[in-house]
Amino acid sequence: MAQNEMLAMILAGGRGSRLKDLTTKVAKPAVFYGGKYRIIDFPLSNCANSDIDVVGVLTQYESVLLNSYVAQDGRWGLDSKDSGVYVLTPREKADEGLDVYRGTADAISQNIDFIDTYDPEYLLILSGDHIYKMNYAQMLDYHKQMKADATIAVRPVPLKEASRFGIMNTDGHGKIVEFEEKPANPKSNLASMGIYIFSWKLLRKMLVEDMKNPNSSHDFGKDIIPRMLGENRGLFAYEFKGYWKDVGTIDSLWEANMDLLDPKNPLNLNDPSWLIYTEDVSTLPAYIGKEAKINKAYITQGVRVEGSVTNSVLFTGAVVEKGAQVIDSVLMPGVVVEEGAVLTRALVAEDVRVGQNVKIGSKDSEGIELVAKNVKGGTK
Amino acid sequence: MAFKAFGIISSADNTVHVEGLHDYRPIGAFSFLGRFRVIDFPMSNMSNSDIDRVQVYVRSRPRSIAEHVGSGRHYNINSKRGRVQLLFSENSSSRSIYNNDINAYKENLDIIQRMHQEYVIIAPSYMVYKQDYRILLDTHISSGADITLLYQKVDNARDYFKNCHAITLNKQKGVESIEKNMGTANNKNIFMETYVMKKDTFVQLVKDASWTSSIYTLADIVNIKCKDMDVRAVQHKGYFATITSLEDYYNASMELLDYEVASDLFRPNWPIYTRTTDSCPTQYYETADVKGSFVSNGCQIEGSIENSVIGRSVVVKPGAVIKNSIVMAYATIEEGVHIENAVVDKWAHIIHAKEIKGEPDHPQYIKRQDTL
Repeated sequence: MAQNEMLAMILAGGRGSRLKDLTTKVAKPAVFYGGKYRIIDFPLSNCANSDIDVVGVLTQYESVLLNSYVAQDGRWGLDSKDSGVYVLTPREKADEGLDVYRGTADAISQNIDFIDTYDPEYLLILSGDHIYKMNYAQMLDYHKQMKADATIAVRPVPLKEASRFGIMNTDGHGKIVEFEEKPANPKSNLASMGIYIFSWKLLRKMLVEDMKNPNSSHDFGKDIIPRMLGENRGLFAYEFKGYWKDVGTIDSLWEANMDLLDPKNPLNLNDPSWLIYTEDVSTLPAYIGKEAKINKAYITQGVRVEGSVTNSVLFTGAVVEKGAQVIDSVLMPGVVVEEGAVLTRALVAEDVRVGQNVKIGSKDSEGIELVAKNVKGGTK
Repeated sequence: MAFKAFGIISSADNTVHVEGLHDYRPIGAFSFLGRFRVIDFPMSNMSNSDIDRVQVYVRSRPRSIAEHVGSGRHYNINSKRGRVQLLFSENSSSRSIYNNDINAYKENLDIIQRMHQEYVIIAPSYMVYKQDYRILLDTHISSGADITLLYQKVDNARDYFKNCHAITLNKQKGVESIEKNMGTANNKNIFMETYVMKKDTFVQLVKDASWTSSIYTLADIVNIKCKDMDVRAVQHKGYFATITSLEDYYNASMELLDYEVASDLFRPNWPIYTRTTDSCPTQYYETADVKGSFVSNGCQIEGSIENSVIGRSVVVKPGAVIKNSIVMAYATIEEGVHIENAVVDKWAHIIHAKEIKGEPDHPQYIKRQDTL
């Protein structure tokens, strides 16, 4: 086959336990977002749009759904003869008894054989649970221009929040001189996005050595990057200024959905030159009933609204029955809000039924109400 | 399962011409209910009936059909065992009287004869209905008939079903004749241009038709053969629309705005497949007022929409009003424009014409890419 200049590996093992009941059955990258997408559609579509042909997806927790989802490489257009999306699960080794990756670097190390079959010059490492649009080809150009050994994507965060992130301190010309994980007194506001480009030859050598090191936690942030800095390697920060969200909690997932209600939102999913691809569904277009009221909403195909929807995001197949009200809420695929029910500041999980006249949430509630189980309705 | 029949999706007769829309694409490629195209219905019927060898006949302007149907993969047809073939009739111009279905089949007769399947199911690319062809084939085989046709009883044949055929039946559901619907009566058995027969019977009919007259269609030859062959008909019930005139097209969409009617055609166990365009969900602004309508993805809606079908990525500016209309993909309706009883073709941009109004029984058509 023709050589692949850059191969992408997506770390999709995140459990996302702070997303509570949303991630009891699916891994975090498979969580729904934005009306019709799953979070992992973003890195996968970014790869397809950046002309990356081969993507490995590294899964571990509850990954049956994610595995079958990702295996359909045609969804993201990665279906040419030499393209593909491959699900890479941990290799069970008889002498170890460990069935999970020990760290982010270990996940890559265990798949060196897979990467070697493509003989890439560069390796792109991504996280499967971030929402953003990014052209990795431009990042690779920067990597080459800087003659870097590794390039790390960073984004500016408010300095007062910088102590929550992994912070890259640079020499003012993009070269990383120091990496601090959650520093108490941050010297810079450039936070690592967990997106790395490595020159594969060097990384491969370092991973092989790291695997043999009993003191290593086999993690990029904790072991590989510090070691590279210690060896005074060329590590460069690539600054990304667009929309980026790590939806770690119910509130932040809700908020990221709400961001889409602003027609001028910086994520702009309506850009025909950078589409986000996802599972194709066979449904009707959205049906807005004769008595429906819609005031500011983000609604996808297969939705049926007979009641009223205000400032909300409705996913594929969601139904709002007559007299029901959905306010400042997110309805995931297949949710049914029965007659007379009122939802305010709620996030309703996939296929949940909210019964007649049920009231959930309130306008001034502090947090977002997660509705993960059917709620039986009262009578009129 | 290797199915016993292969499918043919036929192209409309050269006497059929749909005002406006037809100038740009064959009927199969007409947008339908926002996110579909008319050919998605026969293709999905075939696929859901386990027919994975399908020949699609294209008479003219093949681009849009070729792009839309592609490999057939999105119709759930596997690409090795199954196959979707696009077949063109190349020997005569699209408007020529010789450019009919029989001539298209004759040009491709060697391909038809090489099919392994014993039976053929022929369905039109210009009608919308849901039918399990496995049931139709079983009925055909157990009846011992030579040819089985599908029809629907209608009560509005004076105004609709233009350019279609009507059949007359004897008491045993034997077909006595197939003739053009001339709108002479409201109650008619409209022929759904759907046939089941043995492949060999079909090949013989194609040969017989071309020996008899160069301008004979398949319906013409079957009409003649009714006398000496066993031709029977099966009644179809449920939603049925013919896309054979602008009025029929418009009416077909308006009927589906009744959600009960639409949910009869779109059943979870009978998916209608289409090619995705990956557009994002639709944005409804604070000023949007939408009622009784189907809205596809990728739209920006700031104005009012009532009782209408809105295609993909349509922009409706504040103060614009769309009523009882079909607006196709990528059209932009600017501020203050009022559209009623109209069919607005793709990429149209309506700015200056503040009032566009057709009649319920004769919608106004706005051309593709037109700026008004």
